Amino acid sequence: MSAFSAPYMQRALVEILLLAVLAGALGAWIVLRRLAFFTHSVGTAAFPGLVVASAWGIAPQLAALGAALGFAGARERLARDGDEDAATGILLVGALALGALLASDVYRSGAGVDRLLFGTLIGLSDTDLLLTALAAVAALGAGAALRRAWLARAFDPDGVRALGVPVAWPERVLLAAVAAAVIVALAAVGALLVSVVLVVPAATVRLLARDLRSLQLGTGALAAVEGVGALWLADTVNVSPGPAMAVVSGAVFAAVAVVSR
Amino acid sequence: MTLVRTHDLAGGYRPGTDAITGVSFAAEPGEVIAILGPNGGGKSTLFRALLGELPHRRGTVELAGRPAYVPQTERARLDFPVSALDVALMGAYGRTPFYRRLDRTPGLEALARVGLEAQAGERFGELSGGQRQRVLIARALVQDAQVLLLDEPLSGVDAPSAASIEALFEELRGEGRALLVATHDVRQARAWQRVLCLHGRQIAFGVPGCLTPAVLQATYGGELVVLPDGTSAIAVEHHEH
Repeated sequence: MSAFSAPYMQRALVEILLLAVLAGALGAWIVLRRLAFFTHSVGTAAFPGLVVASAWGIAPQLAALGAALGFAGARERLARDGDEDAATGILLVGALALGALLASDVYRSGAGVDRLLFGTLIGLSDTDLLLTALAAVAALGAGAALRRAWLARAFDPDGVRALGVPVAWPERVLLAAVAAAVIVALAAVGALLVSVVLVVPAATVRLLARDLRSLQLGTGALAAVEGVGALWLADTVNVSPGPAMAVVSGAVFAAVAVVSR
Repeated sequence: MTLVRTHDLAGGYRPGTDAITGVSFAAEPGEVIAILGPNGGGKSTLFRALLGELPHRRGTVELAGRPAYVPQTERARLDFPVSALDVALMGAYGRTPFYRRLDRTPGLEALARVGLEAQAGERFGELSGGQRQRVLIARALVQDAQVLLLDEPLSGVDAPSAASIEALFEELRGEGRALLVATHDVRQARAWQRVLCLHGRQIAFGVPGCLTPAVLQATYGGELVVLPDGTSAIAVEHHEH
């Protein structure tokens, strides 16, 4: 396929396949634990960190990691005695407002904001690929070790402790793994489109999957197919790959939702 | 050997605000104890306290091992991609390291005990309410606990499931386990060995004969209609408008 012969396209292809592994490892848990809003919010929470990193010339993943882990910790603490969505929403609004202020009034980031919000799948470095690979391996490892704790917690939050299953630290590991996945996906799909990779394929496959294994494998496969298709489409019609992925995965979700009714 | 003993148990979800006070009772092997009380009367709070999950707890609790908890089936996730066997096997999670494969035999045996062996591979959310309740009881059986806490297990279940669950209670009783069953059904409670009446505080604990109209009235307050002969009572659901 000539569309994928250029080095930057090959890097984009590898990144998509690595992100598909991440989607398969974590996407199922994101939808089963109803963390879609959290996932989107971590990406948005990283936005002020990305603005600062861009202005100061430091590694964006490092700044995003600081912002996202701070967000995850604050959200976990706020949600402990209250509503998870409300806590996430409060932090989300604060992060978005802070990022907008920094970009417009402090650093005057200008057109660079688009890149931070929507990513640059065809402008990735080897470091970006390495970080995504590391996050994928970590997510697979955490999923293998904590599958039962995550499943029991997601299925029956009230009864999980009575099963003798640890709850608190596996929950923190899941939130940290999702935060790390979001951070490594930022370079490719930006702060606002991380859900396209980590949530939408899993939400689509969930409409059909009858067990957890098929949900995870199906999510990984669908994320890969949608990503590669979107990359080819973006190259063919000369549009930005991130939004192309959003359109493709959204259309597939809608089609599956209609057919599976 | 007493399986559960509490003394002056009190506590709640926020400091200074008790959801239950003065709860002192004991459960012996082979007893089914009905936990009676109105909505918000403290039944679920008592279970939380026995499970060690109540944030603010006073008094003493002695337990023979970790109790198993059977939630109301209405609270279960019906859209979850798990089979009846998957749910039953969750009872073994606490004792099986992550790197060790789960033995399916206890799960299949537990499902057979609740009459659902043939449904082992069916998706949990596609079972009837009564069948789901029996699967959750099978999960508790896989845990092999001496004490089972059941949150309204007969509420809203079909007649065959209710009969199956009640027969299973007798079996578990015969095995020397203790069952604490939160219920609104006063008539059913009279068939079990003991009753514990709660309305924020402990109203009564003893054999079913202690369920006098005065005790029931104190337990349910305005939510109860005691029939004139004093032998029956109807708990009236409280609706907020």
